[in-house]
Amino acid sequence: MTTNSAHGASFRDPSGFLFTRDGVLYRQVNQVYAADYDRLMTSGLYAKLVEAGRLIPHEEVDLAPAAPGAYKILRPERVPFISYPYEWSFGQLRDAALATLSIQKRALKFGMSLKDASAYNIQFYKGKAALIDTLSFETYKPGEPWVAYRQFCQHFLAPLALMATRDVRLGQLLRIYIDGIPLDLVSRLLPGRTRWNLGLSAHIHLHARAQKKYAEAPLAEARRGRTMSQEALLGLVESLQSTVRKLEWNPAGTEWGEYYDHTNYTDAAFEHKKELVAEWVGRVKPRLVWDLGANTGVFARQASGPGTYAVAWDIDPAAVEQNWRRVRQEKEQNILPLVLDLTNPSPAIGWDNRERESFGQRGPADLILALALIHHLAISNNLPFERIAESLAGWGEWLVIEFVPKNDSQIQKLLRSRADIFPNYTREGFEAAFGRFFKIVESRPVRESERWLYLLQKSV
Amino acid sequence: MFLYLDPGSGSFLLQLLIAGLAGIGIAIGASWAKVKRLFSKKKGEPKSDEETDDDE
Repeated sequence: MTTNSAHGASFRDPSGFLFTRDGVLYRQVNQVYAADYDRLMTSGLYAKLVEAGRLIPHEEVDLAPAAPGAYKILRPERVPFISYPYEWSFGQLRDAALATLSIQKRALKFGMSLKDASAYNIQFYKGKAALIDTLSFETYKPGEPWVAYRQFCQHFLAPLALMATRDVRLGQLLRIYIDGIPLDLVSRLLPGRTRWNLGLSAHIHLHARAQKKYAEAPLAEARRGRTMSQEALLGLVESLQSTVRKLEWNPAGTEWGEYYDHTNYTDAAFEHKKELVAEWVGRVKPRLVWDLGANTGVFARQASGPGTYAVAWDIDPAAVEQNWRRVRQEKEQNILPLVLDLTNPSPAIGWDNRERESFGQRGPADLILALALIHHLAISNNLPFERIAESLAGWGEWLVIEFVPKNDSQIQKLLRSRADIFPNYTREGFEAAFGRFFKIVESRPVRESERWLYLLQKSV
Repeated sequence: MFLYLDPGSGSFLLQLLIAGLAGIGIAIGASWAKVKRLFSKKKGEPKSDEETDDDE
């Protein structure tokens, strides 16, 4: 017997849905969407977008449908790691926004239009922002405004404007508002000077007022039979493009942005760490690596390569932004930088908490890198070693972890402003705690330092 | 058209408004371009937006 499990977030659009059968991800296209699907495939739009790396390719397969009303079953290519907009750096969200608009422009040329513009429909695939929802297109109907305009503004323009003009941390509002940030809230939070920006003034401030004024008005009444030419629709999309392009944020002045420039250890120690990581990655041959506290991704990059996809998590949006710029510049395909506060990682959100997965649910990784991280968890966040070891064992099979001794200047800096209530913070205590969840496969002192690197494998 | 999302009445109306204003703008722009063409010899290269992807 086969079991189908419908994806927790795939319920809004009656055009079809995602499901997993025997571990393979499929998309059912329903009869109601048949004409639009055929148009996407035969018009040349699908080929054009796939060629541009802007749409996830799929194969039509001959498979029993998962529910009545099926037209076709597709097997989409899988994205190596699903990430969410509240985990993206400013540049990643901006690229995702521009990708959506570029897709909409292309669609219009082929007589189609995007019927949604959800940030969750974009994923990073082969180093580029790409649309994963094949069912997002509908046949363009002359005269119609853009159905997804509101969603685009809430999901993309609103957080980008807040991040660029107010504070980059406001991107985290996306974690609270799953359908994008309400425009009235954004309008209140944005600095007054944004009213002089024509794009933000129209697409955010005026938009918020229009929403309020016509909140109760039926659509037909608000329209009064008016139509929008295709030229005007294209103009709207281009106006959004130029508004997004003008929004900028540059990584500077945050805590870690230039971390590697003022670390306390020598080049030799740094190089030795890189060597050990390379050696152990070669031994474990992981498919998925999570680098926790990755900073700008030096070690994640070292670990990534053909067959190994590395997710470089860091709390600092500046470090993640720098990492993303590098990915774009070098056209790297096997590394994904993401923002994460490991002491309060992304929760599962949405209906029944099943629409977007938590950090842990997207694991386990084959290998976890936890370099220069332990003291931040154990000392800054008061986490006992056992708790850290237990969680890491849940997130990955193999672990490369660095032990930083208490006399290290980084720790002394952390202890400058607080009492040392950590008598168990010793290498012996560390080994005993981690030994409860992992087997110590190898441990090596890092050259020209008092730090140690461990290769651990999960026991049990 | 089959709307599974609520496009929002206000959002629809705003687009129509922007379209109207842009229409006036384009009309003005077009006549301005005509005026300019009278005074300049060099023709501007027509901009192809086929490849204006976001990867600038």
